[in-house]
Amino acid sequence: MGEPIIEISDLSFQYPQQEREALSHLNLKVSTGAWVAVIGHNGSGKSTLAKLIDGLLVPKNGTIKIAGTQLTSDTLWDIRKHIGMVFQNPDNQFVGANVEEDVAFGLENQGIPREQMIERVRTALESVGMWEFAQHEPERLSGGQKQRVALAGVIALRPKIIILDEATSMLDPEGRKEIIQLIKNLNQENDFTVISITHDIEEASLAQRVVVIDDGVLVQNDKPENVFQRGAALIESGLDVPFSEKLKNEIKNYGISVPQQYLTEKGMVDWLCQFVSKN
Amino acid sequence: MSIRFEKLNYVYQAGTPFEHEALRNVTVSIPEGSYTAIIGHTGSGKSTLLQHLNGLLRPSSGRVTIADKTITSSTKNKELGELRKHVGIVFQFPEAQLFEETVVKDIAFAPKNFGKTKEEAEKIAVEMADLVGLPANILNGSPFELSGGQMRRVAIAGILAMKPDVLVLDEPTAGLDPKGRLEMMQMFEKLHQQQHLTIVLVTHQMDDVANYADHTIVLEKGEVIAAAAPKEIFKDPQWLLKHHLALPKATKFAYELQKTGKFFFDKMPLTEKELAADIVDSLKRGGNQTE
Repeated sequence: MGEPIIEISDLSFQYPQQEREALSHLNLKVSTGAWVAVIGHNGSGKSTLAKLIDGLLVPKNGTIKIAGTQLTSDTLWDIRKHIGMVFQNPDNQFVGANVEEDVAFGLENQGIPREQMIERVRTALESVGMWEFAQHEPERLSGGQKQRVALAGVIALRPKIIILDEATSMLDPEGRKEIIQLIKNLNQENDFTVISITHDIEEASLAQRVVVIDDGVLVQNDKPENVFQRGAALIESGLDVPFSEKLKNEIKNYGISVPQQYLTEKGMVDWLCQFVSKN
Repeated sequence: MSIRFEKLNYVYQAGTPFEHEALRNVTVSIPEGSYTAIIGHTGSGKSTLLQHLNGLLRPSSGRVTIADKTITSSTKNKELGELRKHVGIVFQFPEAQLFEETVVKDIAFAPKNFGKTKEEAEKIAVEMADLVGLPANILNGSPFELSGGQMRRVAIAGILAMKPDVLVLDEPTAGLDPKGRLEMMQMFEKLHQQQHLTIVLVTHQMDDVANYADHTIVLEKGEVIAAAAPKEIFKDPQWLLKHHLALPKATKFAYELQKTGKFFFDKMPLTEKELAADIVDSLKRGGNQTE
């Protein structure tokens, strides 16, 4: 964990013709190389935050610093080079006639020499398991495959920060696992800072920190285990809790006393085994 | 209304270098009144199969029989139109298809198109809005000012307004938050039980299969590799692993527990509630008595 790569202070944003702010007085620091999951119900302001960080929206109030540089209309284009975004619906992200060209598009825009470009496209596609589809038309791919290509397009640009806006929500379980594993590798080995906006609580539980946003307000920024301990409160605000926590509650409903702290699935298995041995 | 696929093949871009066999020798039924889940890895042919259900695609060879209609490679487009009154398909992100000025007009579009008068169509629209749980006070407002979950309900009401016998859902909860997802799944459950709609659910969420479906079709590389009740499908983890399919969370957890040798499950639980009941049972008996 190094210097903060993202520093947000007192950030507010309001959409035109809306009565209330989409984000209110939000403060957040993200360390270089961190993996942060952002959770919140639909309409809580998560995606607005991502768009503000990438300069797609202009804040009403407050500042955003990326890698030490304040985001303004002058610095916007330099800052965007540091950030790669993958959105939820892959159909809105395709520009190339085939997969390979699509991944190359961003590189062409940055004037990367051809030889290097070919290599980077190949590496990026291999890393998402889509190299064999290099010549395919994007339209012919399934949703999950498209999303892997979108991610390859971002990886090829080698940004410092990757923002995933519900990017795994349309993948099948195995595809999702692969992508999460891929995010993990990118985060650990290549030092990408990852911000993952997600409804997938199991994915969030793997992050180093979980940021909870509710109706535009940052309500918690903590380690996953501390966040998930607030089980019932999370569910009430439209969120989910990990499976182990739900199971614990079901068992508690039978009048069995269960541990207070958050248990992972492994922790839950251990606890049950101990319980059964003791009795 | 039962649906039967017989020796169905579908080839994309036949006769070109991109020729791709998406469905191969598919013979399978969707029982009338069932809640059938279609599962399979990305690219397994689920979407291609769906598109045969209301004539968006015609088989390259073989046939689909829906009620008394049979569709083959030579069925005329005009006859396919008839099918769409019987089978309503909700595609992924259906809210992207909304276009009218008001919620009521949007829902009324299909019945109007199928020959109802404006008044009749709007009456149906109001009923359908109620059926999907949309509050009455939003009906004359723009659908575009609604939340994502509500917009999706409007789109689904628009499909229901055609009064289909079969409702086909392609990943209907993608992009919704957990609460929205649960509410949506409960709504489909209600439609299944109260309106007796046959539901066909395409999903990657094994927990939804476990919680709601009574029949499951498993596709792999364009072929049907299993068709049975969820309990049957999920009772062989080795088989699932081999075919790259996940277990419901509760079932997976039960297998993990069983590996410790301290717990034993007669029948693998599929849902959290079943799992909790089994575990509590074991705890009271002091674990695996057969050990």
